Amino acid sequence: MHSMNSKQKIKTPLKAQLFERIESEQVCPRPRWVFASRECVVWFLWFISVVVGALAVAISLFVVTHHQYAFYEATHDNWFTFAVEVLPYIWIFIFLFMLYTAFYNLQHTKHGYRYPVWMIVSSSIVLSFAGGAALQLFGLGYSVDKVLGDHMAMYMSQEKLERKLWQAPHEGRLLGQQLLSTVVPTSTIVFKDVHGVHWRMDVSELQEQDIALLASKRSVRILGKEMNEVVPIFYACGAFPWMLDTNTSLKEMSAERKTFLEWVYRHAHRAKDRVALLEGETFASTTLNKMSVCADIAAVRRMPKGM
Amino acid sequence: MKTLPTLPPSDEELVSKTLENKEMFGMIVDRYQSKLTRYIARLGVRDPEDQLDVLQEVFLKTYRNLNGFDTALQFSSWIYRIAHNEAVSWYRKKSVRPEGHLIADSEEILSFVSAKNESDDVVFDKTVNAKQVNQALLKIEDKYREVIILRFFEHKEYEEISDILKIPVGSVGTLLHRGKKQLATVLNEDSLRI
Repeated sequence: MHSMNSKQKIKTPLKAQLFERIESEQVCPRPRWVFASRECVVWFLWFISVVVGALAVAISLFVVTHHQYAFYEATHDNWFTFAVEVLPYIWIFIFLFMLYTAFYNLQHTKHGYRYPVWMIVSSSIVLSFAGGAALQLFGLGYSVDKVLGDHMAMYMSQEKLERKLWQAPHEGRLLGQQLLSTVVPTSTIVFKDVHGVHWRMDVSELQEQDIALLASKRSVRILGKEMNEVVPIFYACGAFPWMLDTNTSLKEMSAERKTFLEWVYRHAHRAKDRVALLEGETFASTTLNKMSVCADIAAVRRMPKGM
Repeated sequence: MKTLPTLPPSDEELVSKTLENKEMFGMIVDRYQSKLTRYIARLGVRDPEDQLDVLQEVFLKTYRNLNGFDTALQFSSWIYRIAHNEAVSWYRKKSVRPEGHLIADSEEILSFVSAKNESDDVVFDKTVNAKQVNQALLKIEDKYREVIILRFFEHKEYEEISDILKIPVGSVGTLLHRGKKQLATVLNEDSLRI
Protein backbone atom coordinates (compact mmCIF):
# COMPACT_ATOMS: atom_id res chain seq x y z
CA MET A 1 0.00 0.00 0.00
CA HIS A 2 2.94 2.27 0.68
CA SER A 3 3.90 1.96 -2.95
CA MET A 4 0.58 3.55 -3.99
CA ASN A 5 0.70 7.05 -5.32
CA SER A 6 -1.38 9.74 -3.62
CA LYS A 7 -4.30 9.69 -6.05
CA GLN A 8 -4.57 5.89 -6.01
CA LYS A 9 -4.42 5.93 -2.24
CA ILE A 10 -7.27 8.36 -1.85
CA LYS A 11 -9.40 6.56 -4.41
CA THR A 12 -8.94 3.09 -2.94
CA PRO A 13 -11.45 2.51 -0.11
CA LEU A 14 -9.88 2.52 3.35
CA LYS A 15 -11.37 -0.88 4.12
CA ALA A 16 -9.67 -2.44 1.11
CA GLN A 17 -6.37 -0.84 2.00
CA LEU A 18 -6.68 -2.08 5.54
CA PHE A 19 -7.41 -5.67 4.62
CA GLU A 20 -4.55 -5.60 2.13
CA ARG A 21 -2.20 -4.53 4.92
CA ILE A 22 -3.63 -7.07 7.33
CA GLU A 23 -2.92 -9.77 4.74
CA SER A 24 0.46 -8.56 3.58
CA GLU A 25 1.79 -7.80 7.07
CA GLN A 26 0.00 -10.83 8.54
CA VAL A 27 -1.52 -8.71 11.28
CA CYS A 28 -3.36 -10.73 13.95
CA PRO A 29 -5.04 -9.68 17.17
CA ARG A 30 -2.56 -10.01 20.01
CA PRO A 31 -3.47 -12.87 22.34
CA ARG A 32 -5.50 -12.07 25.43
CA TRP A 33 -2.72 -13.16 27.81
CA VAL A 34 -0.51 -10.32 26.57
CA PHE A 35 -2.97 -7.77 27.93
CA ALA A 36 -3.72 -9.76 31.04
CA SER A 37 -0.04 -10.13 31.88
CA ARG A 38 0.63 -6.45 31.25
CA GLU A 39 -2.10 -5.63 33.74
CA CYS A 40 -0.66 -8.15 36.18
CA VAL A 41 2.80 -6.60 35.86
CA VAL A 42 1.45 -3.13 36.58
CA TRP A 43 -0.47 -4.33 39.63
CA PHE A 44 2.52 -6.35 40.79
CA LEU A 45 4.80 -3.29 40.51
CA TRP A 46 2.21 -1.28 42.41
CA PHE A 47 2.12 -3.96 45.10
CA ILE A 48 5.92 -4.04 45.35
CA SER A 49 5.99 -0.25 45.61
CA VAL A 50 3.49 -0.32 48.46
CA VAL A 51 5.36 -3.12 50.26
CA VAL A 52 8.73 -1.38 49.95
CA GLY A 53 7.04 1.87 50.92
CA ALA A 54 5.58 0.14 53.98
CA LEU A 55 9.01 -1.21 54.85
CA ALA A 56 10.46 2.29 54.55
CA VAL A 57 7.72 3.53 56.86
CA ALA A 58 8.38 0.68 59.30
CA ILE A 59 12.09 1.48 59.47
CA SER A 60 11.42 5.21 59.68
CA LEU A 61 8.94 4.57 62.50
CA PHE A 62 11.49 2.42 64.27
CA VAL A 63 14.20 5.04 63.87
CA VAL A 64 11.97 7.93 64.89
CA THR A 65 10.30 6.21 67.84
CA HIS A 66 13.33 4.35 69.11
CA HIS A 67 15.89 6.99 68.57
CA GLN A 68 17.34 8.02 71.85
CA TYR A 69 15.57 11.34 72.03
CA ALA A 70 15.52 10.78 75.77
CA PHE A 71 19.18 11.75 75.82
CA TYR A 72 19.35 14.36 73.12
CA GLU A 73 20.90 16.96 75.45
CA ALA A 74 23.71 14.51 76.06
CA THR A 75 24.61 14.27 72.40
CA HIS A 76 23.45 17.49 70.78
CA ASP A 77 23.20 21.19 71.48
CA ASN A 78 19.46 21.23 70.92
CA TRP A 79 16.58 19.13 69.69
CA PHE A 80 16.77 20.57 66.17
CA THR A 81 20.42 19.57 65.58
CA PHE A 82 19.57 16.17 67.06
CA ALA A 83 16.62 15.70 64.69
CA VAL A 84 18.64 16.85 61.68
CA GLU A 85 21.31 14.25 62.40
CA VAL A 86 19.12 11.29 63.21
CA LEU A 87 16.28 11.58 60.67
CA PRO A 88 16.24 8.51 58.42
CA TYR A 89 16.71 10.47 55.17
CA ILE A 90 17.41 7.45 53.00
CA TRP A 91 14.15 5.80 54.09
CA ILE A 92 12.16 8.97 53.73
CA PHE A 93 13.54 9.28 50.20
CA ILE A 94 12.76 5.62 49.47
CA PHE A 95 9.25 6.09 50.83
CA LEU A 96 8.65 9.14 48.62
CA PHE A 97 10.08 7.34 45.59
CA MET A 98 7.89 4.31 46.26
CA LEU A 99 4.91 6.61 46.67
CA TYR A 100 5.61 8.00 43.22
CA THR A 101 6.02 4.55 41.64
CA ALA A 102 2.85 3.30 43.36
CA PHE A 103 1.01 6.33 42.01
CA TYR A 104 2.48 5.85 38.53
CA ASN A 105 1.61 2.16 38.40
CA LEU A 106 -1.89 2.60 39.77
CA GLN A 107 -2.55 5.29 37.19
CA HIS A 108 -1.41 2.89 34.49
CA THR A 109 -3.77 0.11 35.47
CA LYS A 110 -6.82 -0.35 33.25
CA HIS A 111 -9.03 2.04 35.18
CA GLY A 112 -6.44 3.93 37.18
CA TYR A 113 -6.96 7.15 35.23
CA ARG A 114 -10.51 7.41 36.55
CA TYR A 115 -9.34 8.25 40.05
CA PRO A 116 -8.16 11.72 40.99
CA VAL A 117 -4.52 12.19 41.92
CA TRP A 118 -5.27 12.99 45.57
CA MET A 119 -7.22 9.75 45.94
CA ILE A 120 -4.43 7.63 44.46
CA VAL A 121 -1.71 9.38 46.47
CA SER A 122 -3.61 9.31 49.74
CA SER A 123 -4.60 5.65 49.30
CA SER A 124 -0.94 4.78 48.71
CA ILE A 125 0.10 6.79 51.77
CA VAL A 126 -2.56 5.18 53.95
CA LEU A 127 -1.63 1.67 52.73
CA SER A 128 2.08 2.29 53.24
CA PHE A 129 1.55 3.69 56.73
CA ALA A 130 -0.86 0.93 57.73
CA GLY A 131 1.51 -1.70 56.33
CA GLY A 132 4.50 0.04 57.89
CA ALA A 133 2.86 0.20 61.30
CA ALA A 134 1.92 -3.49 61.06
CA LEU A 135 5.46 -4.47 60.04
CA GLN A 136 6.91 -2.38 62.83
CA LEU A 137 4.56 -4.09 65.27
CA PHE A 138 6.29 -7.37 64.41
CA GLY A 139 9.71 -5.77 64.80
CA LEU A 140 10.53 -5.86 61.10
CA GLY A 141 11.75 -2.26 61.08
CA TYR A 142 14.43 -3.09 63.60
CA SER A 143 15.36 -6.41 61.93
CA VAL A 144 15.72 -4.98 58.42
CA ASP A 145 17.67 -1.99 59.70
CA LYS A 146 19.99 -4.25 61.63
CA VAL A 147 20.49 -6.78 58.84
CA LEU A 148 21.28 -4.00 56.37
CA GLY A 149 23.64 -2.39 58.85
CA ASP A 150 25.41 -5.69 59.50
CA HIS A 151 25.87 -6.53 55.84
CA MET A 152 26.35 -3.18 54.16
CA ALA A 153 29.30 -1.08 55.19
CA MET A 154 27.77 2.01 53.59
CA TYR A 155 24.45 1.69 55.38
CA MET A 156 24.20 3.68 58.60
CA SER A 157 21.86 1.59 60.69
CA GLN A 158 20.28 2.86 63.84
CA GLU A 159 22.70 0.76 65.83
CA LYS A 160 25.73 2.16 63.99
CA LEU A 161 24.47 5.70 64.43
CA GLU A 162 23.85 5.17 68.12
CA ARG A 163 27.30 3.67 68.54
CA LYS A 164 28.79 6.62 66.69
CA LEU A 165 26.92 9.06 68.91
CA TRP A 166 27.74 7.32 72.18
CA GLN A 167 31.28 6.18 71.62
CA ALA A 168 32.77 9.67 71.90
CA PRO A 169 35.03 9.80 74.97
CA HIS A 170 36.33 13.30 74.16
CA GLU A 171 32.75 14.52 74.41
CA GLY A 172 32.10 12.62 77.62
CA ARG A 173 30.24 9.61 76.28
CA LEU A 174 31.20 5.97 76.38
CA LEU A 175 29.49 2.81 75.29
CA GLY A 176 30.52 -0.63 76.48
CA GLN A 177 30.45 -3.06 79.39
CA GLN A 178 31.99 -3.39 82.78
CA LEU A 179 34.87 -5.81 82.66
CA LEU A 180 36.21 -5.89 86.20
CA SER A 181 35.22 -4.43 89.50
CA THR A 182 36.88 -4.16 92.86
CA VAL A 183 35.05 -5.41 95.92
CA VAL A 184 32.00 -3.50 97.11
CA PRO A 185 31.91 -0.60 97.91
CA THR A 186 33.85 0.11 94.78
CA SER A 187 35.02 3.42 93.41
CA THR A 188 36.91 2.20 90.34
CA ILE A 189 36.05 -0.36 87.70
CA VAL A 190 37.53 -1.49 84.40
CA PHE A 191 35.24 -0.70 81.53
CA LYS A 192 35.63 -2.05 78.00
CA ASP A 193 34.22 0.20 75.27
CA VAL A 194 32.89 -0.94 71.88
CA HIS A 195 36.31 -0.39 70.32
CA GLY A 196 37.85 -2.74 72.85
CA VAL A 197 39.67 -0.03 74.83
CA HIS A 198 39.91 -0.77 78.54
CA TRP A 199 39.10 2.27 80.68
CA ARG A 200 39.82 2.83 84.31
CA MET A 201 36.56 4.31 85.40
CA ASP A 202 35.87 6.31 88.53
CA VAL A 203 32.34 5.40 89.61
CA SER A 204 32.36 7.06 93.01
CA GLU A 205 29.63 9.47 92.07
CA LEU A 206 27.32 6.87 90.54
CA GLN A 207 24.18 5.83 92.31
CA GLU A 208 23.38 2.34 93.46
CA GLN A 209 21.18 1.51 90.50
CA ASP A 210 23.95 2.66 88.16
CA ILE A 211 26.43 0.36 89.86
CA ALA A 212 23.91 -2.48 89.61
CA LEU A 213 23.41 -1.75 85.92
CA LEU A 214 27.15 -1.89 85.32
CA ALA A 215 27.41 -5.10 87.31
CA SER A 216 24.75 -6.71 85.09
CA LYS A 217 27.42 -6.84 82.33
CA ARG A 218 24.92 -5.50 79.84
CA SER A 219 25.92 -2.85 77.30
CA VAL A 220 25.75 0.49 79.06
CA ARG A 221 26.04 4.13 78.07
CA ILE A 222 28.14 6.22 80.35
CA LEU A 223 28.01 9.98 80.65
CA GLY A 224 30.96 11.65 82.29
CA LYS A 225 34.33 13.07 81.48
CA GLU A 226 37.55 11.80 79.98
CA MET A 227 40.15 12.67 82.56
CA ASN A 228 43.32 12.04 80.62
CA GLU A 229 43.93 12.15 76.90
CA VAL A 230 46.86 9.71 77.00
CA VAL A 231 45.81 7.15 79.56
CA PRO A 232 42.22 5.91 79.33
CA ILE A 233 40.73 7.20 82.54
CA PHE A 234 37.07 8.18 82.67
CA TYR A 235 35.02 9.82 85.38
CA ALA A 236 31.48 8.41 85.27
CA CYS A 237 28.57 10.64 86.17
CA GLY A 238 25.69 8.49 85.04
CA ALA A 239 25.01 5.04 83.59
CA PHE A 240 22.11 4.30 81.27
CA PRO A 241 21.06 1.04 79.63
CA TRP A 242 21.79 0.46 75.94
CA MET A 243 18.26 0.10 74.65
CA LEU A 244 18.78 -1.08 71.11
CA ASP A 245 19.31 -4.68 72.15
CA THR A 246 15.89 -4.82 73.76
CA ASN A 247 12.39 -4.28 72.52
CA THR A 248 11.88 -0.95 74.22
CA SER A 249 8.42 0.52 74.30
CA LEU A 250 7.64 4.21 74.04
CA LYS A 251 6.53 4.08 77.67
CA GLU A 252 9.93 2.81 78.69
CA MET A 253 11.56 5.51 76.56
CA SER A 254 9.52 8.15 78.40
CA ALA A 255 10.58 6.65 81.70
CA GLU A 256 14.18 6.83 80.52
CA ARG A 257 13.71 10.46 79.59
CA LYS A 258 12.33 11.17 83.06
CA THR A 259 15.25 9.38 84.72
CA PHE A 260 17.72 11.27 82.54
CA LEU A 261 16.16 14.65 83.36
CA GLU A 262 16.16 13.86 87.06
CA TRP A 263 19.77 12.86 86.78
CA VAL A 264 20.74 16.06 84.96
CA TYR A 265 18.90 18.32 87.41
CA ARG A 266 20.38 16.50 90.35
CA HIS A 267 23.82 17.35 89.04
CA ALA A 268 22.80 20.86 88.13
CA HIS A 269 21.47 21.46 91.65
CA ARG A 270 24.64 20.07 93.08
CA ALA A 271 26.49 22.73 91.15
CA LYS A 272 24.28 25.39 92.76
CA ASP A 273 24.85 23.86 96.15
CA ARG A 274 28.55 23.90 95.45
CA VAL A 275 28.49 27.62 94.80
CA ALA A 276 26.65 28.15 98.05
CA LEU A 277 29.14 25.99 99.83
CA LEU A 278 32.03 27.82 98.27
CA GLU A 279 30.58 31.07 99.54
CA GLY A 280 30.44 29.64 103.01
CA GLU A 281 33.87 28.07 102.64
CA THR A 282 32.77 25.05 104.57
CA PHE A 283 33.52 22.18 102.14
CA ALA A 284 36.67 20.20 101.71
CA SER A 285 38.43 21.00 98.45
CA THR A 286 38.72 17.33 97.30
CA THR A 287 34.95 16.78 97.48
CA LEU A 288 34.36 20.01 95.65
CA ASN A 289 36.59 18.92 92.79
CA LYS A 290 34.76 15.66 92.32
CA MET A 291 31.34 17.25 92.51
CA SER A 292 32.34 19.87 90.02
CA VAL A 293 33.19 17.28 87.33
CA CYS A 294 29.61 16.10 86.77
CA ALA A 295 28.13 19.54 87.24
CA ASP A 296 30.22 20.76 84.35
CA ILE A 297 29.61 18.08 81.71
CA ALA A 298 27.92 19.11 78.45
CA ALA A 299 24.58 17.40 79.15
CA VAL A 300 24.17 19.34 82.39
CA ARG A 301 25.34 22.61 80.88
CA ARG A 302 22.89 22.32 77.98
CA MET A 303 19.84 22.08 80.23
CA PRO A 304 17.74 25.24 80.45
CA LYS A 305 18.38 27.19 83.63
CA GLY A 306 15.84 27.79 86.35
CA MET A 307 14.20 24.33 86.48
CA MET B 1 -46.90 -12.80 9.68
CA LYS B 2 -44.59 -9.83 9.90
CA THR B 3 -40.96 -10.46 10.86
CA LEU B 4 -39.39 -8.04 13.28
CA PRO B 5 -36.57 -6.01 11.81
CA THR B 6 -33.26 -7.30 13.14
CA LEU B 7 -31.17 -4.79 15.04
CA PRO B 8 -27.67 -4.19 13.77
CA PRO B 9 -25.05 -5.87 15.94
CA SER B 10 -23.64 -3.79 18.74
CA ASP B 11 -20.00 -2.72 18.66
CA GLU B 12 -19.19 -5.23 21.37
CA GLU B 13 -20.84 -8.03 19.37
CA LEU B 14 -18.85 -6.98 16.35
CA VAL B 15 -15.63 -7.17 18.35
CA SER B 16 -16.28 -10.74 19.43
CA LYS B 17 -17.39 -11.71 15.92
CA THR B 18 -14.26 -10.13 14.45
CA LEU B 19 -12.12 -12.28 16.73
CA GLU B 20 -13.74 -15.33 15.10
CA ASN B 21 -13.86 -13.95 11.57
CA LYS B 22 -11.67 -11.04 10.59
CA GLU B 23 -13.96 -10.04 7.72
CA MET B 24 -16.37 -8.69 10.33
CA PHE B 25 -13.83 -5.98 11.08
CA GLY B 26 -15.02 -4.33 7.88
CA MET B 27 -18.27 -3.48 9.66
CA ILE B 28 -16.38 -1.71 12.40
CA VAL B 29 -14.44 0.24 9.77
CA ASP B 30 -17.67 1.21 8.01
CA ARG B 31 -19.25 2.28 11.26
CA TYR B 32 -16.39 4.48 12.45
CA GLN B 33 -14.56 5.69 9.35
CA SER B 34 -16.45 8.94 8.87
CA LYS B 35 -16.76 9.70 12.61
CA LEU B 36 -13.05 9.24 13.16
CA THR B 37 -12.11 11.14 9.99
CA ARG B 38 -14.07 14.10 11.28
CA TYR B 39 -12.58 13.74 14.75
CA ILE B 40 -8.95 13.58 13.65
CA ALA B 41 -9.57 16.47 11.28
CA ARG B 42 -10.77 18.51 14.25
CA LEU B 43 -7.63 17.52 16.09
CA GLY B 44 -5.57 18.96 13.24
CA VAL B 45 -5.03 16.21 10.66
CA ARG B 46 -6.46 18.07 7.68
CA ASP B 47 -4.80 16.67 4.61
CA PRO B 48 -6.94 13.81 3.17
CA GLU B 49 -3.87 11.70 2.50
CA ASP B 50 -2.62 12.19 6.06
CA GLN B 51 -6.08 11.39 7.34
CA LEU B 52 -5.99 8.10 5.48
CA ASP B 53 -2.58 7.27 6.91
CA VAL B 54 -3.70 8.09 10.44
CA LEU B 55 -6.96 6.18 10.05
CA GLN B 56 -5.15 3.12 8.72
CA GLU B 57 -2.96 3.13 11.79
CA VAL B 58 -5.97 3.67 14.05
CA PHE B 59 -7.84 0.70 12.61
CA LEU B 60 -4.76 -1.51 12.49
CA LYS B 61 -4.07 -0.77 16.14
CA THR B 62 -7.69 -1.42 16.96
CA TYR B 63 -7.57 -4.76 15.16
CA ARG B 64 -4.26 -5.76 16.73
CA ASN B 65 -5.51 -4.91 20.23
CA LEU B 66 -9.04 -6.29 19.99
CA ASN B 67 -8.35 -8.78 22.77
CA GLY B 68 -7.34 -5.91 25.01
CA PHE B 69 -10.66 -4.11 24.58
CA ASP B 70 -12.03 -3.51 28.03
CA THR B 71 -15.72 -4.33 28.00
CA ALA B 72 -16.18 -1.98 30.95
CA LEU B 73 -15.76 0.83 28.41
CA GLN B 74 -17.86 1.70 25.42
CA PHE B 75 -16.20 0.52 22.24
CA SER B 76 -16.58 4.02 20.77
CA SER B 77 -14.62 5.50 23.70
CA TRP B 78 -11.88 2.96 23.16
CA ILE B 79 -11.54 3.58 19.44
CA TYR B 80 -11.74 7.35 19.93
CA ARG B 81 -8.90 7.02 22.45
CA ILE B 82 -6.79 5.19 19.86
CA ALA B 83 -7.66 7.84 17.26
CA HIS B 84 -6.81 10.63 19.67
CA ASN B 85 -3.43 9.11 20.53
CA GLU B 86 -2.65 8.45 16.87
CA ALA B 87 -3.56 12.02 15.83
CA VAL B 88 -1.45 13.48 18.62
CA SER B 89 1.55 11.32 17.76
CA TRP B 90 1.04 12.16 14.09
CA TYR B 91 1.40 15.87 14.63
CA ARG B 92 4.22 15.32 17.08
CA LYS B 93 6.04 13.25 14.46
CA LYS B 94 5.43 15.92 11.86
CA SER B 95 6.42 18.60 14.40
CA VAL B 96 3.41 20.69 13.48
CA ARG B 97 0.74 22.22 15.60
CA PRO B 98 -2.85 21.99 14.44
CA GLU B 99 -3.52 25.35 12.94
CA GLY B 100 -5.37 27.11 10.19
CA HIS B 101 -8.23 24.65 9.96
CA LEU B 102 -11.89 24.65 10.82
CA ILE B 103 -12.71 22.73 13.93
CA ALA B 104 -16.42 23.06 13.37
CA ASP B 105 -18.84 24.49 10.83
CA SER B 106 -21.09 27.50 11.44
CA GLU B 107 -24.04 25.48 12.63
CA GLU B 108 -22.01 23.58 15.18
CA ILE B 109 -20.36 26.77 16.36
CA LEU B 110 -23.77 28.40 16.77
CA SER B 111 -25.04 25.59 18.95
CA PHE B 112 -21.79 25.61 20.94
CA VAL B 113 -22.00 29.35 21.56
CA SER B 114 -25.64 29.15 22.63
CA ALA B 115 -25.13 26.04 24.76
CA LYS B 116 -25.81 26.91 28.37
CA ASN B 117 -25.33 23.80 30.38
CA GLU B 118 -22.88 22.43 32.93
CA SER B 119 -24.16 25.29 35.09
CA ASP B 120 -21.12 27.34 34.17
CA ASP B 121 -20.79 31.07 34.24
CA VAL B 122 -19.21 31.50 30.83
CA VAL B 123 -21.53 33.19 28.37
CA PHE B 124 -20.44 33.85 24.83
CA ASP B 125 -21.37 36.85 22.80
CA LYS B 126 -23.97 35.50 20.35
CA THR B 127 -22.74 37.83 17.62
CA VAL B 128 -19.41 36.11 17.21
CA ASN B 129 -19.10 34.29 13.92
CA ALA B 130 -17.88 30.77 13.20
CA LYS B 131 -14.55 31.98 11.85
CA GLN B 132 -13.79 33.94 15.02
CA VAL B 133 -14.66 31.00 17.25
CA ASN B 134 -12.62 28.60 15.12
CA GLN B 135 -9.62 30.90 15.30
CA ALA B 136 -10.04 31.33 19.04
CA LEU B 137 -10.31 27.54 19.51
CA LEU B 138 -6.93 27.17 17.86
CA LYS B 139 -5.41 29.67 20.25
CA ILE B 140 -6.44 27.99 23.48
CA GLU B 141 -4.33 25.28 25.14
CA ASP B 142 -4.46 21.80 23.61
CA LYS B 143 -5.85 20.20 26.79
CA TYR B 144 -8.83 22.57 26.75
CA ARG B 145 -9.42 22.32 23.02
CA GLU B 146 -9.46 18.50 23.20
CA VAL B 147 -12.26 18.38 25.79
CA ILE B 148 -14.25 21.13 24.08
CA ILE B 149 -14.08 19.24 20.78
CA LEU B 150 -15.22 16.00 22.40
CA ARG B 151 -17.96 17.59 24.47
CA PHE B 152 -19.47 20.13 22.09
CA PHE B 153 -18.60 18.89 18.62
CA GLU B 154 -18.42 15.12 19.11
CA HIS B 155 -21.22 15.27 21.71
CA LYS B 156 -19.57 12.89 24.14
CA GLU B 157 -20.67 12.44 27.72
CA TYR B 158 -18.29 13.26 30.58
CA GLU B 159 -17.64 9.56 31.30
CA GLU B 160 -16.83 8.95 27.64
CA ILE B 161 -14.44 11.91 27.54
CA SER B 162 -12.84 10.61 30.71
CA ASP B 163 -12.30 7.23 29.03
CA ILE B 164 -11.04 8.73 25.77
CA LEU B 165 -8.54 11.13 27.32
CA LYS B 166 -7.78 8.89 30.31
CA ILE B 167 -8.47 11.56 32.88
CA PRO B 168 -10.81 11.56 35.91
CA VAL B 169 -14.41 12.59 35.25
CA GLY B 170 -13.98 15.50 37.64
CA SER B 171 -11.08 16.81 35.57
CA VAL B 172 -13.27 16.76 32.45
CA GLY B 173 -15.64 19.26 34.06
CA THR B 174 -12.77 21.41 35.28
CA LEU B 175 -11.05 21.43 31.89
CA LEU B 176 -14.30 22.26 30.13
CA HIS B 177 -15.01 25.16 32.43
CA ARG B 178 -11.48 26.55 32.21
CA GLY B 179 -11.40 25.94 28.46
CA LYS B 180 -14.57 27.92 27.93
CA LYS B 181 -13.23 30.69 30.11
CA GLN B 182 -9.98 30.81 28.17
CA LEU B 183 -11.91 30.77 24.93
CA ALA B 184 -14.07 33.69 26.06
CA THR B 185 -10.92 35.62 27.01
CA VAL B 186 -9.33 34.96 23.61
CA LEU B 187 -12.54 35.99 21.84
CA ASN B 188 -12.69 39.21 23.86
CA GLU B 189 -9.06 40.02 23.15
CA ASP B 190 -9.62 39.43 19.45
CA SER B 191 -12.72 41.61 19.34
CA LEU B 192 -10.85 44.40 21.16
CA ARG B 193 -8.06 44.15 18.62
CA ILE B 194 -10.57 44.51 15.80
